[in-house]
Amino acid sequence: MATGDLFGIGVSGLLVAQRGLSTTGHNIANVNTEGYTRQRAEVVTRPAQAFGSGFIGTGAQVSTVRRVFDGFLVDQVRTNTTSAGYLERFHDFSSQLDTLLPDPNGNLTPALQGFFSALHDLADDPASIPARQVVLGEAQTLVSRFQLLDQRLRDARSAVNQELGAVVGEVNSITERIGELNRQIVVAEGSAGGQPANDLRDQRDELVRQLAERVDIIAFEQDGAGINITTGAGQALVVGSTVASLSVLGNPYDATRSEVGYTVAGVTSLISDAIRGGELGGVLAFREQVLDPAQNALGRIALGVASEVNGQHRLGADLNGQLGRDFFTPIGQLDPEVRPASDNTGAPPADITVSLSDVGALSTSDYRLDRTGGLYSLTRLSDNTSFNLSVFPGGPETVDGMTFALGAGNIADGDSFLIQPTRSAARGLGLALTDPAGVAAAAPIRTAAALGNTGGASVSIGAVNSPDNLVSINFTTATTFDVVDNTTGAALASGVSYAAGAPIRFNGWTVNVTGVPAAGDTFAVDHTITGAGAGNTGTGVVSTASVSAPDPNLTDPVTITFDDPPTTFTVGGATTGSPSAGVAYSSGSPVSFNGWTISISGVPAAGDVFTVEPNTNGVGDNRNALSIAALQTADTLENHGASFGDAYGQLVAEVGTVTQRAETSRVAQEVLLRQAVDARDAVSGVNLDEEAANLLRLQQAYQANARVLAVADEIFDFLIGAVGG
Amino acid sequence: MRIATSQMFSQGLNAILDQQAELTKTQIQIANGKKISAASDDPAGASRILGLREAVEITRQFQTNASAATSRLSLEDTVLDNVTNVLQRVRELALQGNNATLTSQDRQGLAVELEQRLDELLGLANTKDGNDEFLFGGFSTRTQPFAADGAGGFVYNGDQGQRRIQIAPAIRIADGNSGSEVFQAILNGNGTFRTADDPVNLGSGLIDAGDVVDPSSWIADNYTINFTTDSNFEVLDGTLTPIVTGPYDSGSVISFNGIQVAITGAPVAGDRFTVSPSARQDMFTTVQALATAFAAPDSDGAGAARLHNAANRALADLDQALENVRGVRAGIGGRLNAIETEQSVNADFELQLRADLSRAEDVDLAEVISRLNQQLVSLQAAQESFARLQNMTLFNFL
Repeated sequence: MATGDLFGIGVSGLLVAQRGLSTTGHNIANVNTEGYTRQRAEVVTRPAQAFGSGFIGTGAQVSTVRRVFDGFLVDQVRTNTTSAGYLERFHDFSSQLDTLLPDPNGNLTPALQGFFSALHDLADDPASIPARQVVLGEAQTLVSRFQLLDQRLRDARSAVNQELGAVVGEVNSITERIGELNRQIVVAEGSAGGQPANDLRDQRDELVRQLAERVDIIAFEQDGAGINITTGAGQALVVGSTVASLSVLGNPYDATRSEVGYTVAGVTSLISDAIRGGELGGVLAFREQVLDPAQNALGRIALGVASEVNGQHRLGADLNGQLGRDFFTPIGQLDPEVRPASDNTGAPPADITVSLSDVGALSTSDYRLDRTGGLYSLTRLSDNTSFNLSVFPGGPETVDGMTFALGAGNIADGDSFLIQPTRSAARGLGLALTDPAGVAAAAPIRTAAALGNTGGASVSIGAVNSPDNLVSINFTTATTFDVVDNTTGAALASGVSYAAGAPIRFNGWTVNVTGVPAAGDTFAVDHTITGAGAGNTGTGVVSTASVSAPDPNLTDPVTITFDDPPTTFTVGGATTGSPSAGVAYSSGSPVSFNGWTISISGVPAAGDVFTVEPNTNGVGDNRNALSIAALQTADTLENHGASFGDAYGQLVAEVGTVTQRAETSRVAQEVLLRQAVDARDAVSGVNLDEEAANLLRLQQAYQANARVLAVADEIFDFLIGAVGG
Repeated sequence: MRIATSQMFSQGLNAILDQQAELTKTQIQIANGKKISAASDDPAGASRILGLREAVEITRQFQTNASAATSRLSLEDTVLDNVTNVLQRVRELALQGNNATLTSQDRQGLAVELEQRLDELLGLANTKDGNDEFLFGGFSTRTQPFAADGAGGFVYNGDQGQRRIQIAPAIRIADGNSGSEVFQAILNGNGTFRTADDPVNLGSGLIDAGDVVDPSSWIADNYTINFTTDSNFEVLDGTLTPIVTGPYDSGSVISFNGIQVAITGAPVAGDRFTVSPSARQDMFTTVQALATAFAAPDSDGAGAARLHNAANRALADLDQALENVRGVRAGIGGRLNAIETEQSVNADFELQLRADLSRAEDVDLAEVISRLNQQLVSLQAAQESFARLQNMTLFNFL
């Protein structure tokens, strides 16, 4: 055996120990480095030399320095990071609304309560100007509250836009760096004879994790080309060192609504819908699942308040005896937003008018109108229910309380329109009335029994018919029809001769029937929406209702005189309603003419006279104030399913439920993420005690190998001495 | 299992942070006294709280409305109490003046007081409430309801409206009565018919107010009792057809068509008395008629009979007026009772709602504070174990 061999062995051991100490030192140095994977110097024996007596070892060497990691665990961390990023961001945004909407002082219900309480106070003292001023003041508070809440939702909307911009910027910078690292790693590993560039790979893995936090991705390693990354839906973000960037674009229907765009080969497409995870996914989901419905729901309540209060207010009389005007902004000025797609080709730009025909039937969804193959369809976006518009654009068509009509211009195939029936209503709501005397607390009519009456009958105080009453037009024969107000139960007319197209006017609306109706056919006017009975056999068609409530003859003086014998009465002065002579008397039954309904009860005598007259000087009358106040608890929204307060409660509960679900999932996801990180770190993390032990071990090895060198040296000296001596 | 150093650190730290988050939540609950600070704490509860608060406020509003109605009805009752007193004084004056021993001057003195009482009555009918609105104008609360028409009569400028106040979800109660109902639309006579003498009678016949014996036989018509001679009369119906004839006997009743009247004194041939269906007459006209009768100088026997007949008529009319006011006041009392009942129902309901509200939103302090203590202990434990673990490293021994 040559002494040189022992030197060589000693030196190899020293080198191995040195490399080991360096690696351990590197591990200790990086104990707190994010994304660092502990490294280990792999030691192998050097090739042995064959001798006749067998193989003699030649020492040890470091074959490679490798990262201790498990690809599966790294993937686990990545997917859990994506879910955590999604839920975290969704929850962050949604919990803002979650505390805003039920805030005990700032929510909508105290403002609603204040308004309706003021109306009750006015009903207690209708002639009082201060009470009227309070009503207007509370109404202004209500309007401001709607606007304030809406503004907060709009703030959230711009925060979403900002967030999208910021996150997209981060995504682009991260993908850029991953592409660069892909290039560097290929170069570095190529020049190092295929040895892994451990620290560069750590950096790249950490960047991929950061990317996964922001958007859902699929990452896979390609031999010799680094790591390739696509979005969850498959759009390539990084291929080798080539990087595609995301961008922020305006929604084609609404330029102020930011969406995520993806550009490849110079073509940009919207991929918001395809992003389902990460912070981007969370922000987009919040906007679609929480913010849009919340703002729509708030708008719907605003529309409900405006439409119901205005409708009832117009049926009343103000302090000067004039019929009530609009109290809040009229519904006609709060029309649905119609947003044509930016790529519509119809020329000139088509204007579709969408008006609100029945606020009570509105949903909180947005809608999309499409033209495909010459056919028009409407899609309710909340549940993707599709409605075929068969009459439109030839005539107006009504869906979910909205009436669609085509204005000027043409719609081309492929054109589409986004319709937001309630989105901007809370913002647009205002107070139309400024004069306290203009509050219509009184009813425009009053009743009286003549002093000369000798019978014992009395007359009710009377009420004005609402155009929203459900009225049916029943054909008793093919040429005559009766009209019945099903809400009050009053017969409005009977035995009217049918003339096709002749106006039929009751309760402040006008319709006409055309065609050939058959006996037994019915037509309904419900909330001013008209329809033919399902079992009709004739060809009669009812027009839409044009509304101008109340009845123009409402305040005409009318006398009801009992005939002899007093089983019938004759009505003088009435324009609307029939018959006017020989009307059968039934105690307590409703009697309706000229748009009002009264009832006479008791035993009248022949010649007894009851009058309905304008409520001149009737400043102490509170009937209409009571009717408006009663709207507080009336189920006016959601097809008679919810009051204003109920609808707001639903909104709060919905936002609360979604936030709660996100919170629960977020907590669960946090645990999953921690577990995944723990599992990864259990394999790849640096343990200082372990490294300390390694230090001791390697230090000893170093000392031992040095000793080998010393022995070799001694042997050599001894040999020289022996030979040379 | 192998643990990375960073893991030991982050696990210890996370444990502390989690405890702190829980602690903060509990602390906020204690500070606010409310279980729910965000809807997500309890979405159904948050919605229910909004509903309960609204219900509490509505109920309180009903109580406010009930108080307003009570005060207006009480005011009306007070006014009607005064009206009753005035009418009773007028009735006393009528009885006093009806005494045959009084001189013409005495009666004229009474007439002066009657005029004053009439003014008083008009003043009461034109009473204003605390809001400077007329109590008895119907809906026309800014229009003075009653005034003399300048021709000896009185006009009502109000209407027959009756305001209702909402005191419960389905209960609206009238907070007053129109002037027409209280002062104007009063049936005169005995409520069914009214007797009168012919102003040109020459005899001293006095007719009483009469009675209804059999309401089903009564036929409303204008009847005339005509004295054909000093001792014979006939009763003519509206077509001047005699339906009863007979000899006159002072004080005995004359019966026809289900009613009876009595005539006393000495009518002479040609004297007439009328029996006509009761008509509506305001109480001011009643008092005015009495004052006019008392103011007229009495001369002969016929004049005295005219006076006494007028006084009798006024007494009957006054009784009707008093009865009418009594009826209205009974109605007011009934409504005040109903309001009081409803107020206590509302108060109970509000109490119930508040209890529900408190259950839904208030924290159970005992529970929360014991939770806080538990959490404090846990946090302390987490902190101590963290500090100790961080101290343990092999490097300490190298």
